[in-house]
Amino acid sequence: MVIPVSRSSRGSRPTIEGPGFLARADLQVLFDLLREDGRQLIGPTVADGAIIYDDITSVDQLPRGWGDEQSPGRYRLRRRGDERLFGYVVGPTAWKKWTFPALIPLTHSTHDGHKVSFEPEQATPPKLAFLGARACELAALGVQDRVLIGTEFIDPDYMVRRANVFVVAVQCTTSASTCFCTSMGTGPEVTDGFDLSLTELDAGFLVDSGTPAGRAVLERLPLRPASAAEQYGVAATVAAVRARIGDPVPTDGIHDRLLAQLDHPRWAQVAERCITCGNCTLACPTCFCTTLTQTTDLTGKNAVASRSWDSCFSPGFAKVAGGSFRARPRDRYRQWLTHKFATWWDQFGTSGCVGCGRCITWCPVGIDVRDELNAIAPPVPLSPESRLVEPVAATPNEFVTARVVNTKAETADTTTLTLTGVDPAFSHGSTGQFAMVALPGFPPLPISISRFLTDGIELTIRGAGPATRAMCALQVGDQVGLRGPLGNNWPLDRAVGRDLVIVTGGIGLAPLRPVLHAIVADRRRFGDVKLFYGARTPADLIYRDELERWGKRDGIDVSLTVDRAGPDWSGRVGIVTHLFDQAAWDGSNMIAFVCGPERMMQATSTTLAGRGVSASRIHVTLERHMECGIGLCGHCQMGKYFVCRDGPVFSIAQLGDTFGREGI
Amino acid sequence: MQDQASLVAVLNSTWFASGLEPGIQTRLAELSRTFTAEPGQELFREGDESEVLGIVIKGRVALRIHVPERGDFTILTVEPGDVYLWSALVPPYRATSTAVAIEALEAITFEGPALRAALREDAALAQALYPRVLVAVARRLNATRVQLLDLFAAEQVRTW
Ligand SMILES: Cc1cc2nc3c(=O)[nH]c(=O)nc-3n(C[C@H](O)[C@H](O)[C@H](O)COP(=O)(O)OP(=O)(O)OC[C@H]3O[C@@H](n4cnc5c(N)ncnc54)[C@H](O)[C@@H]3O)c2cc1C
Ligand code: FES
Repeated sequence: MVIPVSRSSRGSRPTIEGPGFLARADLQVLFDLLREDGRQLIGPTVADGAIIYDDITSVDQLPRGWGDEQSPGRYRLRRRGDERLFGYVVGPTAWKKWTFPALIPLTHSTHDGHKVSFEPEQATPPKLAFLGARACELAALGVQDRVLIGTEFIDPDYMVRRANVFVVAVQCTTSASTCFCTSMGTGPEVTDGFDLSLTELDAGFLVDSGTPAGRAVLERLPLRPASAAEQYGVAATVAAVRARIGDPVPTDGIHDRLLAQLDHPRWAQVAERCITCGNCTLACPTCFCTTLTQTTDLTGKNAVASRSWDSCFSPGFAKVAGGSFRARPRDRYRQWLTHKFATWWDQFGTSGCVGCGRCITWCPVGIDVRDELNAIAPPVPLSPESRLVEPVAATPNEFVTARVVNTKAETADTTTLTLTGVDPAFSHGSTGQFAMVALPGFPPLPISISRFLTDGIELTIRGAGPATRAMCALQVGDQVGLRGPLGNNWPLDRAVGRDLVIVTGGIGLAPLRPVLHAIVADRRRFGDVKLFYGARTPADLIYRDELERWGKRDGIDVSLTVDRAGPDWSGRVGIVTHLFDQAAWDGSNMIAFVCGPERMMQATSTTLAGRGVSASRIHVTLERHMECGIGLCGHCQMGKYFVCRDGPVFSIAQLGDTFGREGI
Repeated sequence: MQDQASLVAVLNSTWFASGLEPGIQTRLAELSRTFTAEPGQELFREGDESEVLGIVIKGRVALRIHVPERGDFTILTVEPGDVYLWSALVPPYRATSTAVAIEALEAITFEGPALRAALREDAALAQALYPRVLVAVARRLNATRVQLLDLFAAEQVRTW
């Protein structure tokens, strides 16, 4: 980057390349410039045994030589033994104190005889400069921007306050044990959301600008070009911070993982420690819930409605006549955690957590949100070596039962059943495996497991005949018989580090859904993931919400097509292979999983082969008449294989010319 | 109006016209025009005279057939790289479906009569272009057959 540092006001200097260097002794110049511009400076200073943000005017008020030690429920200042001004991490104050104050008047109202009037309060906030905002805090400002001014309805008070802020960011050169910005993807590198950025070195700062306003200030600073060694030093220091923090909370797929665990016993356990004090929400830089308080004067004629920070931990937060919707601490803890890490995504398209660690440090009982997440919603392990679990009720004369706890109509003829009370073997099954599902009086049928839950499974069934129709008609509370999990699995281990293309049609997405869940839970292990899904009509697409999430949020390239549509469908119409038959791909690092009607799988594998994907890397799952599911009854034979035992997943190379051959 | 070189580059970015000899591409560029349409804009109606052959560069065109009493059905969407109104090259030069841009469309078009005249006069051009048209039409025929099989239908017509 080229930063022209022409110094019209303080004598002319040559234009310099790259970031500039500001001597520590010259930092007061920045203070003075910002104050000259009419800004009130808010920055770090030592008070009450902590580094807080407050009004400052001079560099001498900065926490020179101070660092901090943080761990769950603990914060201590310590002497660093150097002259660093920003050698601490983040303290208890969040910048929202100025952009979204804890208490503001909203409306003045009067009652005069029969007349009432309401006068909105107009904020006239001072021009501010925030000095020392860290990467996680910039992200937090971004999150509140999204919440408060990023949607249809905006918060007028926030808007004027936010617009008045000039942000001087400081890149982290140190970290605390409570930091997890790396997991939340917000830091430690400062990348955007600032006007000026500083990174502290032994003798001064590397200075860069992020906006024209920042550049205008930068151009007035007494800078010299930063040396290559200084620039390298900064990069190495920030990289070391990143390495030290590591990745304490694997967040891939956290949304779905967490929401699948609403009944986890850990919620009750953490609630035994949680005293619902709300410290975490007050310290949190993104929490935005508020409550209104009415205050009247003695005449009762004039009232002020004020807005103050509230907390989903406060007992009255979800109160209605007759009680509270979240009466128990466990409900409130669950509400907070699932909002931050899951439902925030649904509402605002971002995470509600930025990984600053304040809720951990300032929790009086030391609850560590990272431990709770890892315990309640652990990442789905994807161990390539893992052996398939032993099935339960393996022989065709026995069954274990499971209970339907939820039913979801996917399309007019297809239903997803959520089953619990199943033998744990099912939850430990693998992607692509199936269960033999039985109802008294009907032949047991093979059905793929379409989702693995910690205490259950899901099946997605299309009512194709009498037995499957009876299954689709099951209600919550009904039981079914199960054997399994049976069959082999998709070779997901072979997809690690490769590009994966998934081609499927109709109900064929069901046996591939757990593959997508596993990828989303550990997205970084895979290259590009493309999902091509075809259905008969738009009304026949299953898992619509998930398709949207996979595409919008989870980094999966989702393409849909249908065979025919009405004029209200604006997506593609055509066959699924036409989604990629002309694509300019390099198939050499690609692996493909295909499931659909056999004719469609043939066309797909031919097309994929034409794009350079070799037969040993194209996998299909076959459907055959199955009765025993374990290679004993002979029904599912195909050439040298029993599809139930040796499959149902095969590579095209394995199948050779039996694939697609009639009558085999 | 785009210049020749950029039109050639745009043609090269489509699978329909990529990799043709430079001379042929220049000739095609001379015959072509750029065309844009708003979402919802009807490009032509079933039975109309096919005035142009188009190549979609950006956007999506729905090909629809009207069934009296049942309404309009989208039977295919033409995606970037593919052609529409190939009937501009085949007698009786009439559109076989109604086309609507369902996303903002950028296309390259060739006037039917001019293109036909050029193909009659320029054997090299004809030799290069007709196989491409055949590929596009055959690809569509293949898709139509697969769609006809109705593979995802609930009731499968079993042959055994
Ligand atoms: C490995 C595998 C996984 C499958 N996964 C799913 C899934 O996730 N969702 C889904 O909806 N469908 C799935 N199927 C297909 C499902 O098993 C059949 O649609 C179902 O057996 C049809 O039975 P039916 O009685 O309802 O219908 P009908 O088509 O009327 O079948 C009539 C009779 O034919 C026999 N029959 C038909 N197909 C089969 C079969 N494959 N195995 C044994 N007997 C059969 C049975 O006796 C059945 O009662 C899968 C099939 C296999 C092999
Ligand atoms: S189902 Fe019995 S051998 Fe496969």
